[in-house]
Amino acid sequence: MARYLLGRFAGILIVFFIVSVVVFLLMHAIPGGPYNEDKVPLSPEAKANYMRKYGLDRPLVEQYVLYMGNALRGDFGVPFQSPTETVTGLIARTWPVSASLGFAALLVAIPLGLLLGIIAATRQNTWLDYAASATSTLGLTVPNFVVAVWLVLLFAVQLKWLPTGGWGEWYHYIMPVVALALAPMALTARYTRTSILEVSRSDFIRTARAKGLSGRQIMTRHTLRNALIPLITVLGPQIPNLITGTIFIESIFRVPGLGKFFVTSILGRDYPMIMALLLLVAVVWSVVYLITDILYTIVDPRVRLGKSKS
Amino acid sequence: MRRTHAPSFTRNALWLTLLLLVALLIQACAPAGPAAPAAEQGAAPEAAAPGEPVKNALGKELPADAAPLDQQVLVFPYSGWKTFTTVDFFQAVYERADALSDILSDSLVRLDKDFQPNPGAATEWSVDDSGLVWTFKLDPNLMWNDGTPVTADDYVATFQYGADPAHAWDFSWYYQGVIKNWTQSVNGEVTPQEIGVRAVDANTLEFTTETPAPFLPAMLVYSNTMQKRALEEHGGFYNSDPATSVSAGPYKLVEWTKDQRLVYEINEQYKGTNIPYIQRLVVTNIGQPSQLLPAYEANEIDFVNGGGTLSPADFEIIAADPALNEQYHPHYGDFRTYYFAFDNTQPPFDNPLVREAFAHVLDRDAITANILKRQGIPAYSFLAPGFPASNSAAFAETWPLDVEKAKQLLAEAGYPDGEGFPKLTLKLRSEGPAPTAVAQAYASALKDTLGIDVEVTNMDFKAYMDEMNAKPTQMQFTLISYGMDYLDPSNMLGVFLSGGRHPWSNADYDALVKEASAFLGDPGERTQMFQDAEKILVDDAAFVFAYHQTPGDMIKPYLKGPSLEPDANGVAAWHWPGFSSFSDLLSGVYISNDVSDYRQAPN
Repeated sequence: MARYLLGRFAGILIVFFIVSVVVFLLMHAIPGGPYNEDKVPLSPEAKANYMRKYGLDRPLVEQYVLYMGNALRGDFGVPFQSPTETVTGLIARTWPVSASLGFAALLVAIPLGLLLGIIAATRQNTWLDYAASATSTLGLTVPNFVVAVWLVLLFAVQLKWLPTGGWGEWYHYIMPVVALALAPMALTARYTRTSILEVSRSDFIRTARAKGLSGRQIMTRHTLRNALIPLITVLGPQIPNLITGTIFIESIFRVPGLGKFFVTSILGRDYPMIMALLLLVAVVWSVVYLITDILYTIVDPRVRLGKSKS
Repeated sequence: MRRTHAPSFTRNALWLTLLLLVALLIQACAPAGPAAPAAEQGAAPEAAAPGEPVKNALGKELPADAAPLDQQVLVFPYSGWKTFTTVDFFQAVYERADALSDILSDSLVRLDKDFQPNPGAATEWSVDDSGLVWTFKLDPNLMWNDGTPVTADDYVATFQYGADPAHAWDFSWYYQGVIKNWTQSVNGEVTPQEIGVRAVDANTLEFTTETPAPFLPAMLVYSNTMQKRALEEHGGFYNSDPATSVSAGPYKLVEWTKDQRLVYEINEQYKGTNIPYIQRLVVTNIGQPSQLLPAYEANEIDFVNGGGTLSPADFEIIAADPALNEQYHPHYGDFRTYYFAFDNTQPPFDNPLVREAFAHVLDRDAITANILKRQGIPAYSFLAPGFPASNSAAFAETWPLDVEKAKQLLAEAGYPDGEGFPKLTLKLRSEGPAPTAVAQAYASALKDTLGIDVEVTNMDFKAYMDEMNAKPTQMQFTLISYGMDYLDPSNMLGVFLSGGRHPWSNADYDALVKEASAFLGDPGERTQMFQDAEKILVDDAAFVFAYHQTPGDMIKPYLKGPSLEPDANGVAAWHWPGFSSFSDLLSGVYISNDVSDYRQAPN
């Protein structure tokens, strides 16, 4: 296991390096720069002042080596769009906001999704099943920003129970969490239902029933545990998306999170931020996949990591 | 599969009750507008005896119908897409908060609602006989709220900062060619200390210009000073943190929570003449523009800057609701004109007949009636009605809609029915729904009438500017806009000078605009010169002027005051340049007691 983990970490480092080179080259290949020419073309001298100020007048290779050298020491530079702070400071300020929202959404989505899935499976073809399935289909097909707008119109504009958005109070979580949780909840519910139905038909469940276990015991000890494996595969990739911030939900509910920077950094040619964000995303995805793989071994003891050719 | 019995009625009822309870809890715990105790609001107001007029912290008497002092709070939205970093014009124009910047010191001049430059921090100004040396007398009463006086040195330091190549100010082009040695300083040929801005004494500021610049006072709307000491001690971002911020303006910064909000309170030590009613200003992040109208309807913000931010869907909602409709106030905005531009140095647009044919195809009335509605009026020339030297009506018949004529012209140019005409791409600069629809309407008109294929592409802003500004330009055919920076034709018409935004170049035009810009004689004669120049521009069909944008704002009915009453043209609106030290709008708006029907005091 230790050896396996070591190998995986080395893999993450390689990914990190490749992503950094590709992103660096790509972002410098986009036309335009961080300077502003909205009104009139800048004179070559004025443009040169700008490039010099941000160190963009040096050769690309030098810029890359300098950036990565600093990055390895934890210095990701100063964001062009917010020069009063550092990239690290900006991420430290905004990421926890996005992450807390993402985790809150997961905390709501997974238990509720499991519950819905179990209800639908155990009451197959009853109105409960249909209601649960309808809910999850809706959750999967309606984009979360549409749901978000509905929530705002209903709870803020019509009923005036909640402010249209904002951040800092517990009630600011309600609408964004609901909007964010809907899709993963629906996904969980659908996979749980299918998975449980499939597992319930297997021989070992029949055996368990034959030896006189109660319905609840069979569900918790046998059915659910086995049904979880496909669920982990599906839910894993949801996590990085949720915890690194979602541009639509954050901008609709005015959540001061990381989400918008994925867009503004590229639109504004904010090179240090683009690099830092994409490296962050690469690391988060790598780590989440690693954790998912480890989880398999816990849920299903037959899965053994690192022992190839069995 | 074993089936337990379906849940009983009681179980369902339990769920329902729970749901209801949760709903009630939300309602009870989360009031839409959490009210703050009055004592926390701004400077503690002195209780006025009944019947006596209420005065605010600066001793300004509130009108009889004004809401109590703790309600004199104005909440503005800003687009959450941008992380703004400054509120100072001379730090970074495009990184400023897009609402309520530039109120921490006074500009030398400020505009009234008729766009006339009036004394601001400068009590008077004059120019010498050469027309090159301007003397501005500063109001000797002005003080920073750290107790030190505002002096000419502060203004000099601010202008030198703007011309400093190390600062790389994003608006440095603005004073280029106007203030003496400005360009040379930006280019690093002379030091910033050598620019033509100098302190004669503590209260006398002297500007020297490269050529006579009768428009200098209008241009100096953008001259809100930074503090020399703070600039030297803390750098250009000293106003981005209440701890280092210092104000000589009507307000002081009390809170800046990044990506969330800015809060100002009245500056009790303000000694200038732009004295506000409003005690407290809140600038709140509103996320994306689609959330402006809902937040406005939920009474969370008092104002929506409609220029380009309200969508066609928003306009439908506004039109359908009489109350909202009354709160919508169209105005001139920044006198922005949208126009189609060609690369007339390359075929096919180097042929004037082609450009003329294109000019005859644009159906401005249809575009206004069907697409723009209240957001624009037809443009026959560049200077919008209401702008100095505008001569709009005179050009109405220069390029009327005339499809037959257009076809004939195109045939004369060698492309009968569009045969052999290259396929075009009409490029847009990251535009919103209205300009995009206008471009598409024009493209389909070109196809239907002249048989020319035009594809419309809305590009990424910076990629667009890169193609536009390439030398030679890569922008063959585009729809683009320009809005004024200061109220003088030299600014707007300067866009078309050779070597500027477009490849179009005309020596007569250049000479007229340059001569008129520096002309010190009779203003009527000067206006005529600008109008002659504009005639060259229009007659040459170098550009097809499409429409003047008439943006509108949503203003809550409880915002009142002389600034919101009709101007000389009868337009009652929130006039450019808005609530800042550039304008006396700031001192002419208050919250009336109708506010209690809408909201509590925001915190």
